[in-house]
Amino acid sequence: MVAEAVAVRGLHARYGDQVALNHLDLAVARNTILAIIGPARSGKSTLLSVLNRTLEHVPSARWSGEVRLHGAPIAGLDPTALRRRVAMVLPLPVGLPLSIRDNVTLAPRMSGVRDRDRLAEIVETSLRRAALWDEVKDRLDELGTRLSGGQQQRLTLARALSTAPELLCLDEFSIAIDPITTARIEEALAELRASMTIILVTNLLGQARRTADRTAFLLDGELVEEGPTAELFADPREPRTRDYLAGRFG
Amino acid sequence: MSRDLKGRDRRRHAGDRVAAWSLGFAALLAAAPAIAIVGLLLYRGAPAISLEFLFTFPTDGMTAGGLFPALLGTLWLVGVSLVFAVPVGVLAGIWLSEYAGDGRLTRLAELAVVNLAGVPSIVHALFGLGAFVLFFHLGASILAAGLTLGVMTLPVIITSTRAALRSVPHAFRVAAWNLGLSRWQTIRAIVLPNALPGILTGVILQVSRAAGETAPILFTGAALYLPVVPTSPTQETMALSNHLFVLLTQIPGVPDDAKYGTALVLLVLVMAINSAAIALRWRLRGRRAW
Repeated sequence: MVAEAVAVRGLHARYGDQVALNHLDLAVARNTILAIIGPARSGKSTLLSVLNRTLEHVPSARWSGEVRLHGAPIAGLDPTALRRRVAMVLPLPVGLPLSIRDNVTLAPRMSGVRDRDRLAEIVETSLRRAALWDEVKDRLDELGTRLSGGQQQRLTLARALSTAPELLCLDEFSIAIDPITTARIEEALAELRASMTIILVTNLLGQARRTADRTAFLLDGELVEEGPTAELFADPREPRTRDYLAGRFG
Repeated sequence: MSRDLKGRDRRRHAGDRVAAWSLGFAALLAAAPAIAIVGLLLYRGAPAISLEFLFTFPTDGMTAGGLFPALLGTLWLVGVSLVFAVPVGVLAGIWLSEYAGDGRLTRLAELAVVNLAGVPSIVHALFGLGAFVLFFHLGASILAAGLTLGVMTLPVIITSTRAALRSVPHAFRVAAWNLGLSRWQTIRAIVLPNALPGILTGVILQVSRAAGETAPILFTGAALYLPVVPTSPTQETMALSNHLFVLLTQIPGVPDDAKYGTALVLLVLVMAINSAAIALRWRLRGRRAW
């Protein structure tokens, strides 16, 4: 049994000639929430897209180094199987043009789950865990794209949870939604931590402080500092972290 | 100063009115020939239309009787061209949009498609004669003529498929990839269903073109007159477009009614196919929302 859910060593990523991540080392313990903060273009989103290997869909992008998920190097896994274990929620909510039900069952169906009862169960659990069930349980056959922005983001979360992932990555999930929805998702994350590991990329320092066990600060593709959230915010070791937290950047 | 502004406002309003009128006039001008053609054909051709006209053979050296074999032949030709052009065109469009990337081969393929779209139909006819009739030994037949029509319609089907796929937001693909769907699963489950109305539009336009063109079938499979209806794609066939051409230029003494009637049947056939496809497209589009 490996204690770390994610172990990254010497991770290097680039788009064409442009370096996005520079020999990054990072470890995330099981059942914790890690917040990743840092200014735009610091490599936060690139890091997430390496974790589920969707970076490989970007023609100019390359990555090297070692990334392990629960001890197993992800480079040796089938990318589609990996993505069912590493779920991803992106900044802008994307309701796929399918019914609410089909949005949630898409990934399980495509990986071969046919049983109707099993699918119905997945729909209910995923929507409950994403704090959306009560609002949509009577209209599961309506189009997911007709929901409000905040609801669509929770639908995106429910969809991400439909494969029962081991690692949940959220990339600035709250930039396009209202504060009430944000608060509900943050509560949901606190509960989800019991069954999975969570990485939360955020530009909202308050959000990192509220939700994360540990926080990492990324700058220009390098990990500047990582530590327990309270410590990092109260007493950062690095001057660059201190400057960023004080808002003296960019 | 305030008077100056008022003057400018007045000029702007005048400009607005001129634009609205001239745009409306242009639209009317564009619609007028279509209305005139349909009106004239209905007025002059309708008296010729009867069950007998539609479902019997020409008689008396083609100066009397019906156009049944030509009607059936056109359906054959359109059918064969679609069976060839739709799968090939849609698959090629999918490859260009979803798989090809941006390499030199892709650009070459796209250039070839664009150029193919600009080839005049009489040149397609010569290509069909050389390739299908002679080289592949299909002879003058429905197959050779249908394939020639298929090649002619291919570029538009490819381009419209590609454009329809591109119009599906990239975020949908990313969302599907993030859920662990493979590239092909993403296309099949998300991209293709949402691109279907657009793909269909391209196919519709080409159906009417295939039904209406005369040149490509001239040397590849169209017969002036046949005493039997085609029962196999290896036979020659009469076709409405060619039949109309023949009635107008090759046979003396055909009553005007029959000429206009033949044109009317061709027009109604094309319009019927188009309307069916447009209705299908509306139904598909009704399900879409983003």
